[in-house]
Amino acid sequence: MEQTLVADASDAPREADLAFDRLYRSSRDDLFAYVAGLLRDTTAAEEVTAAAFERAYRKRNRFDPRRGEPRAWLFGIARNAALDELRHRGRQAELTAEPADPESLDTHAGAERSDRRLTVSAALERLQPGERELIALKFFAGLANAEIAQVLGTSESNAGTKLHRAMTKLREACDGTV
Amino acid sequence: MEPSRDDQLIADLQALRPTPRPQFAAELDERAAAGFPRRSRLPRLSLDRLRAVQPRRLLLPAGTAAVAAIAIAAVLVIGSLGGSSSSSTSQQHGSTLGDLQYFDGSGHYAKPAPEARSLTSGASAAKGATNGKAEIEPFSQNLMFSRNLNSSFTPRHRDVERSAEVVLAAQPEDVAGDATRVFEAVHANNGIVMRSSTQEGAAGEAGASFELLIPSHKLGDAMAAFSEIDAVRSRREATADITAPTVSAAVLLKESRARIDSLLAQLEGAETEEEREAIEAELRHERRHASRLAAQLTHLHRRADFSRVALRIETGSSESSGGGAWGIDDALHDAGHVLTVAAAVMLVALAALGPIALIALIAWLTHRAWVRRERRRVVG
Repeated sequence: MEQTLVADASDAPREADLAFDRLYRSSRDDLFAYVAGLLRDTTAAEEVTAAAFERAYRKRNRFDPRRGEPRAWLFGIARNAALDELRHRGRQAELTAEPADPESLDTHAGAERSDRRLTVSAALERLQPGERELIALKFFAGLANAEIAQVLGTSESNAGTKLHRAMTKLREACDGTV
Repeated sequence: MEPSRDDQLIADLQALRPTPRPQFAAELDERAAAGFPRRSRLPRLSLDRLRAVQPRRLLLPAGTAAVAAIAIAAVLVIGSLGGSSSSSTSQQHGSTLGDLQYFDGSGHYAKPAPEARSLTSGASAAKGATNGKAEIEPFSQNLMFSRNLNSSFTPRHRDVERSAEVVLAAQPEDVAGDATRVFEAVHANNGIVMRSSTQEGAAGEAGASFELLIPSHKLGDAMAAFSEIDAVRSRREATADITAPTVSAAVLLKESRARIDSLLAQLEGAETEEEREAIEAELRHERRHASRLAAQLTHLHRRADFSRVALRIETGSSESSGGGAWGIDDALHDAGHVLTVAAAVMLVALAALGPIALIALIAWLTHRAWVRRERRRVVG
């Protein structure tokens, strides 16, 4: 992502608004997918997603492009908001998506594909929360490894290694389930 | 796992990806278009708004606010210092003689007449109180006198001791001439030169000093005359109310004299030698007591009648900026004073706010660390 939230001082407000609008449009669904995967509650995910965009909008002038990509910055805000929501609920993070609707899967992809996805969903449940968050960031939100590293506050190589381990465990869990 | 299985797993994961409801997406789009208006009106409004502003944009208003706060604090402190100084001045160093006023104890202020003094005896005190030129009405409610005096004696004027200090700036060659003019001014006002010294020499060494007694009612004229001799470097005048001790001494003297009269009457009626000797002994004692009171009263009257004036003629530069025209030195001095006061105010403020800020900082850091730990705990 080559977006920026900063602009020349002369037209800073307008340019920053436009940049944020671009960020919003490119990240809305991804952010919701990540938050919903983290919270496993559609209503709460909508609240947190809206709150995260609102917080980011209020802080848009404080964004420092030297510290990372806008998308990673936005997901960091959403992550904190989602974790705070989980803390307040007193719940342990559960990072899989909501249970898939078998009828919907049957309708769109056929029975075999539906079974396989239910298997993946069940395998996700058996992963460690941190591992599931990595998968949610990567495959629900579509973040690059560098962005994941920025969101989690770690190095890119470390994020890549962790993601690889998480995928390996997910495959093993799928095989075990099957 | 072969690549094809990996791709399939990734495809399955992406298929499990949650998607927002169209209604929610539409609402969020509307909110985004409207600039994310706040949904709740609960607190943190101003804090969030403040956080949204770029730090550099906060510098100017924050700096302005800080400077304004310092200026206000400095003005308040200087004002309070000036107020207390003025207050003490009016009590000890006095205001200018012409403006001198007294609180009469009943809510009225009145100017005294310096010449309208005096209580040379108990009897004359009453008489003076009746015939004083500057009477202050009413005076009977004065608490000081109600404590110290019996109700039969009601003073109607004040005795004030005055003193003054004048520093004149002169050229070394003018010192002798100025000193002569000082003598002339003293004599013209029926004053007394208690002590004087004149020193000749270069600038800074040459000078003169005088200790003078000037009749109080001519103090204003004398000060005016002194001020005309040369440039006034500084001039201070002070007053002290000595009415209470004066009246007290007068009352005691009156009582003592009445006692002497009584003893004299008893002496005339004494029948035995023993009784006569006892009365005479008591009479001697009472006369000594009356004599002391009379001396004390005379001394008080002299303090009220004559004002002490310390006059110095200086050469060379002034160490302080007490007199003369207000110039750059005075400005620098005042600026230094203001900065000193401002620094003192800042120091006091920091001393008070420092511990509070430190506690708040520690609490904030602790809370932040706790939140981060809890977030880490949430994701395992």
